[in-house]
Amino acid sequence: MLLDYDRMGWLRVALLCFTTLVAAFLLLPVVFIVLLSFGSSRWLAFPPPGWTLKWYQELFADPSWLEAALTSARIATMTALLAVLIGLLASFALVRGRFRGREILRGLLLTPMVLPVVVFAIAIYAFFLRLGLGGTTIGFVIAHTVLALPFAIIPIATALEGFDKSIEDAAIVCGASPLEAKLRITLPSIRIGIFSAAIFSFLASWDEVVVAIFMASPTLQTLPVKIWGSLRADLSPVIAAASSLLVGLTLALMIVTALLRRRFQT
Amino acid sequence: MSVETQRSIATMRMPGGLGSLLPALILIGLFFVVPVLALLLRSVTEPAPGLQNYSALLGDGTYARVFFNTFLVAAVVTIVTVLVAFPVAWMLAIMPPALASIVFGVIILSMWTNLLTRTYAWMVLLQRTGVINRALMASGIIDQPLPLINNLTGVTIGMVYIMLPFMILPLVGTLRAIDPMTLRAAALCGASPFQAFRRILLPLSLPGIAAGGLMVFVMSLGYFVTPALLGGTSNMMLAEMIAQMIQSLLNWGLGSAAAFILLVVTMALYALQLRLVGARRATGGA
Repeated sequence: MLLDYDRMGWLRVALLCFTTLVAAFLLLPVVFIVLLSFGSSRWLAFPPPGWTLKWYQELFADPSWLEAALTSARIATMTALLAVLIGLLASFALVRGRFRGREILRGLLLTPMVLPVVVFAIAIYAFFLRLGLGGTTIGFVIAHTVLALPFAIIPIATALEGFDKSIEDAAIVCGASPLEAKLRITLPSIRIGIFSAAIFSFLASWDEVVVAIFMASPTLQTLPVKIWGSLRADLSPVIAAASSLLVGLTLALMIVTALLRRRFQT
Repeated sequence: MSVETQRSIATMRMPGGLGSLLPALILIGLFFVVPVLALLLRSVTEPAPGLQNYSALLGDGTYARVFFNTFLVAAVVTIVTVLVAFPVAWMLAIMPPALASIVFGVIILSMWTNLLTRTYAWMVLLQRTGVINRALMASGIIDQPLPLINNLTGVTIGMVYIMLPFMILPLVGTLRAIDPMTLRAAALCGASPFQAFRRILLPLSLPGIAAGGLMVFVMSLGYFVTPALLGGTSNMMLAEMIAQMIQSLLNWGLGSAAAFILLVVTMALYALQLRLVGARRATGGA
């Protein structure tokens, strides 16, 4: 009876209450930060004595915030493009290839997801210092693509595993070249996987803190580095304003994802 | 389709298959494997060739404390996360879909919100004059503000918050795969709800709990951001110590040796997880 929602009695009430509490716990910081960004207290008193937009004005008056956001967007977009492209090619080999050591190679390509980022961060920092790539956009994109690759491979490979390969073979038998069949039959069929891969790898770069802290230079810093620096200095409400905009962006991304998924599935 | 055609399609795919793996292998080989190996080399050559960095790390009480702290925090975070996640995953697995999708929405929103944003919120919420201390004092539960930040309490709260989605989401899958009939059968045979839970539901969901728990433990071991911001100086964790050795002390030998110890422990646990659940399931949760 423990897995019958309609026949659980008091246990259901207890579990529902607990679930509600946990959902509230998960929501608390997100809602709190948005409310705080409109509060008038510089010392983050809550509930705030009054409401204001001045932290947003301060945020937009300081060009370094916008600059950091644009840098992040640029690096994350390039990372997502590269990771999806490389991940797509790799997924075909990992899912369909019949060669020795396939599982080992799959494991190797997914390792950046498991290894603590701080280890990779100091390794790539030292490596790029030697190559002269430290603090450059290319350096950032390469390092972030390494970290994003597993997040691109997993959804694409999963989608590809669920795709019936005989449809692609049928197209080839009907006269399409293997490449044509992949581009016109297979890719459209696994687009949800490709789309998820793009979102996950974008977020992997956009949110990345640790590598960015090591790689950043005074002239090139991403948004997380900018927030990190401000957090270490003080808990200014301007950070709450910047954070709220990021929450808004997350919500927008979630809505777009949900809408696209619905369209893909019907 | 004739056997001939099948065979020709198969052979056509083969060389292309391996070749398309090349960009990924070059990227990971050149910019992941080589730098990490170079780091390992540094740990046994700087300042002089030998294992003195490792003996310094493993023989010193200060460093031993950091290792102990790291394992303690990771263990506590894992246990709390499992205990909180299980009932939620249980409900999510059987709830009406409309209700469940609201909870899933909240989980995704929290998971996708910028990591620093979430940590910043906890820094403000948990500080001495923060909302939580004020609410507790106003309600008369405590007279003095509780020290909730710059200590292990702060780190645990912040880490559990971040790890919960990683535990809940795979567990829902495990619980959904359990056939409700097995529990109905248990009830028909006279098992009390508690017996049914202990003898059937819990054992059947144990693989999911073990896999998720191990993942949370491994992630917590190497976590940098949250412990650095919510923890105190007296109970530093390993990742923060490594970053400090490199960034502030410029001690590359010691820093890379500590990084390598973290790498070995993490990889050993990861291998254990692969053994437990198989390669696909272990990494399929993202």
